This record gives sequence, structure tokens and C-alpha cells, in this order.
Amino acid sequence: MERTSRFSAALIFVAPLAVLVVLWAVLVPALGVRPQIFPSVAAVGRAGIDSILDGSLLRHVAASVSRVAIGTVLAVLVAVPLGILMGVSRGVSAFVTPLMRFFSVLAGIAWIPIATLWFGYGFGAIVFVIFNAVFFVVAYNTLLGVSTIPMTLRHAAASLGAGRRSMLTDVLLPGALPNIVTGIRTGLGFAWRGLIAAEMIATDVGLGYMLFVARDFYQTEVIVLGMIVIGTLWLLIDRLLLVPLERATIERWGLVSP
Amino acid sequence: MKSLSLKNLAKTYFDAYKGEHVTAIRDVSLEVPAGEFVSIVGPSGCGKSTILNMVAGFIPHSGGDILVGGEAVKGPGPDRGVVFQSFALFPWKTVLDNVGFGPKMRGVPKAERDAIAREYLALAGLSHAADRYPNELSGGMQQRVGVVRALANQPDVLLMDEPFASVDAQTRMTLQDELSRIWEERRPTVVFITHDVPEAVFLANRVVVLSKGKVLAEVDVPISRPRVWDRLVADDQFKDLSNQVLALVRSA
Ligand SMILES: Nc1ncnc2c1ncn2[C@@H]1O[C@H](COP(=O)(O)OP(=O)(O)O)[C@@H](O)[C@H]1O
Ligand SMILES: [Mg+2]
Repeated sequence: MERTSRFSAALIFVAPLAVLVVLWAVLVPALGVRPQIFPSVAAVGRAGIDSILDGSLLRHVAASVSRVAIGTVLAVLVAVPLGILMGVSRGVSAFVTPLMRFFSVLAGIAWIPIATLWFGYGFGAIVFVIFNAVFFVVAYNTLLGVSTIPMTLRHAAASLGAGRRSMLTDVLLPGALPNIVTGIRTGLGFAWRGLIAAEMIATDVGLGYMLFVARDFYQTEVIVLGMIVIGTLWLLIDRLLLVPLERATIERWGLVSP
Repeated sequence: MKSLSLKNLAKTYFDAYKGEHVTAIRDVSLEVPAGEFVSIVGPSGCGKSTILNMVAGFIPHSGGDILVGGEAVKGPGPDRGVVFQSFALFPWKTVLDNVGFGPKMRGVPKAERDAIAREYLALAGLSHAADRYPNELSGGMQQRVGVVRALANQPDVLLMDEPFASVDAQTRMTLQDELSRIWEERRPTVVFITHDVPEAVFLANRVVVLSKGKVLAEVDVPISRPRVWDRLVADDQFKDLSNQVLALVRSA
């Protein structure tokens, strides 16, 4: 029962993507599209195999994923405690909320120019862009999460003897978790896009760089391959990391994320 | 178990919308000896929750004294256990961990506090629900956990603010039977707030009728124990006392 429903859910998810590939396979030869404009399925397949065999795809993916991972982990480690601190004080939370909103909107791409001025071209600038994309969204959502925890829960904890520290670890952190997960999900989305953009400008390895260089040589099959890899990686991160995290916590507890 | 003593308690709120001060509690004095069960009844808005929140330490009082075992209350603390109308269980903790939360705060090791939690869960017939999460339980079950969680921390005084108001009538009577039985076994000091007169009389040794922030009357309830609804529904003494309290509440 469980297994078949999982399977059919996966099928429903994959089916539209499969239709898209079929359309592509039929339309490109049928309309006689030139490879400089859009590649054939076979050409992209070949480019995929070539880049796997010569190790270049793995190198680009590893560079991109490790930048996202490092930037995101750093951002979450700083943003969650800060968000909680801001959330417990009404005054502080009222003061910083507009700032957080402002910087959440700017998150990611808009920081690229100044990041390259501060950190030069390379790892530092890109990780900074990702940090930025994740930090403000997660901090803002954490703050929001803390302020929506019912006062009675904090009262209950206090009257059971909870001090500051236990209030933090046993009430505020788990209570804000639905919002924190939402924040990480949104932030990772920003980060992933920011990463590709930053890699086009500020580095010599990574998926964004791969796209950018291929354009110079009219290698549309490499460009499309890169786009497919970028989209697929994002879906994998979301499905294999974030969705299970939500299942194990928020849904189990009967909380809903906003 | 300790006594609770309120001396000339007063509370004035500042109403931010109206921009003026509102007196919720004028002058309330009340003695609850150790091991006594006192109910406070009164119409909605008469200040019941305000008293309880001050005693719990959730809000400051504007005048008078609150003493638990002779000591002045400062902020919330584990000496005063609270049962909330909204249950206030931690959704992210299992029933066992909810009940073990108080002992955990006291630094009791995991194995030991699990044993304590299981003992108290058994007291309310909840052993089978230990590994569930609160959202998997009915309202009546959740409030049993709420009561047990407060008891397992062995407070000096147990404070309950309309704890059974949000469960259905059938379940409410069962919960009242159970609370009565648990009180008879353990004899905690209890302040129980309700606007339901039969509930107040059924549970308490003494009923305090509150009106407009003042104590209107105190009525002793000398009905013998153990008390169960099966016996009390048709009990003349229970009916007389209920009617007496009801008349007072109506005049309030
Ligand atoms: N936070 C508050 N600010 C202003 N007025 C309040 C506040 N809380 C309660 N009051 C007022 O105090 C009075 C008593 O309220 P409450 O203690 O909740 O009554 P009860 O629990 O008996 O229904 C009411 O008139 C209510 O409007
Ligand atoms: Mg009330």
C-alpha cells in the first residue's frame, strides 16, 4: 500500500518531465532546428557521457555543490541562533523585521558585484553570495517562527522549571522548526540560483562556469546538459533532504509549515 | 504539599487600546491550607484567570502578597504546577517526554525520569499512549496528559484554569471522576478555576465565588469522599450545595 502509493507519486512527478523529453526528441528533428540554436536529445546524451568520462562534469558538480553546502551550513548556523534571539524580544523583533524583509528580497544575485569587490574572484565571493541568500531568509523565518509559538507553551515550560537554556533547546528551537525548514528551503532556492549566476562571473569551475564557457563555443548541447543537471540536482536536494526532514518532524508533530 | 495564601491581592491592567487602567482584581484574600482542594467560580470576566496567572507568576501583581508555604512568589516556578485550558502540551515531544519534562528540568537522568513518567501515566490509565505524539490523541486524552505532566513534577500547589472546558460533556465527567480519585490518593493542594458550578462543587473542599474582582462568598463542601458522579448525580446534599453556589454566582 505504502510502497505502491510512493511509486505512483514518483510516477506522477516524473511523467510531465518525460513528456517534455519526448516532445523535444520529436520536435527538434521535425522542425529542422539547427544545433547552434538547440541541440538534439542524442547530442546532449553524448555530451553527458563525454563529460562524465573525462571527469569534467563531476568536477563542476563537486565545486558547485560544495560551495552551496558550505555557504548554507554557515548561514544556518549563524541565522538560527540570531533569529531566536531576535524573536524572543518583541522590541528587537519589531525593529529588525523590516530590515530582514528588505535583505531577504535582495538575497543572492544582487550581492554578486559587491562580493567580487570584497573577496575577489573565486571561492570567497561565491560562498558569500550563498551565505547571503540563505542567511536573511532563514533568520527572518526563525524570528517569525519564535514569535508564533503560543505563549502558553512558554508558560508551561517555565512552570515546569525550564530555565533560559532549556527554553531555547526544548521550546523555542523545536517550536520554530517548521518556519526554519521553510526558510532553509526558500533560502536554498535563492542560493542555487545565486550560485549559478555567481559562477558565471567569478570563477573557473562549477556548473555556472560550464554553461558560460559553452556559450562562447556555441556548444548548445553542453548548455542544455548543464541546465538539466542544475534542475535535477535541485530536485534531488529538495526531495532527498528537505522533504524527508519535514516528514520526520513537522508532519509527525502535527504542525503545519506556513 | 504546601499552603497558598493570598493577602489583599490586586491587579490593574493597562488597556493599550483605550489608553486607560482597568482594575481586574480589587482586593482578594484567600487561604488554601496544604492538601486542600479549592474551586474558584464566577461569571466570565470576573478575574479568575487573572488570579491564577498571578499565582503562577506569568503576570506581575499590582498589590498585596502571594505566598506559597509562607514564601513570596517571584515569577513562574516548578513549585506551582499549571494545567491549561488549551492543554499546552509540547507537540514535538512524545507523551512520555511531555510528562518527563519537569523531572528533566530538575536534572533527573533519562532512565529515572522515564520511570517517573510511566508511573504517573499509569495513574491516569495512559500507559498505552506513552510513545504517541499529542496530536495523535483526543482532547480528553491530551488533557489527561496535561494533568499528569503537572502532577509528575510534584508541585507544592496545582493550579488549573478551566482545564476541562474544551472537552465534550461525556469526557468531562470522566475527567472529573479521575481528578477526584487522583486527588483522594495524593492529596495535592489545588486551586481549580471554572465557570461550571456542578464541576466546582463536585471536586472541591471549598468553593470561592468571585464577583467583579472580589470574593463574594465561600461555601464549604462537606460531601464525603470518594466522590464519583454515579453517586453524586442523585445526591441531595450535592444538589443543595450546587443550587446555593449557583444562586450566589447569579447574584454576582
Ligand atoms: N491583558 C489584559 N489587558 C487588559 N485587560 C485585561 C487583560 N486580561 C484581562 N483583562 C480584563 O480583566 C478582567 C478579568 O479577566 P479574566 O481574569 O480573564 O476573567 P475570567 O478568567 O474570570 O473570565 C476582564 O475585564 C478582562 O477584560
Ligand atoms: Mg478565564
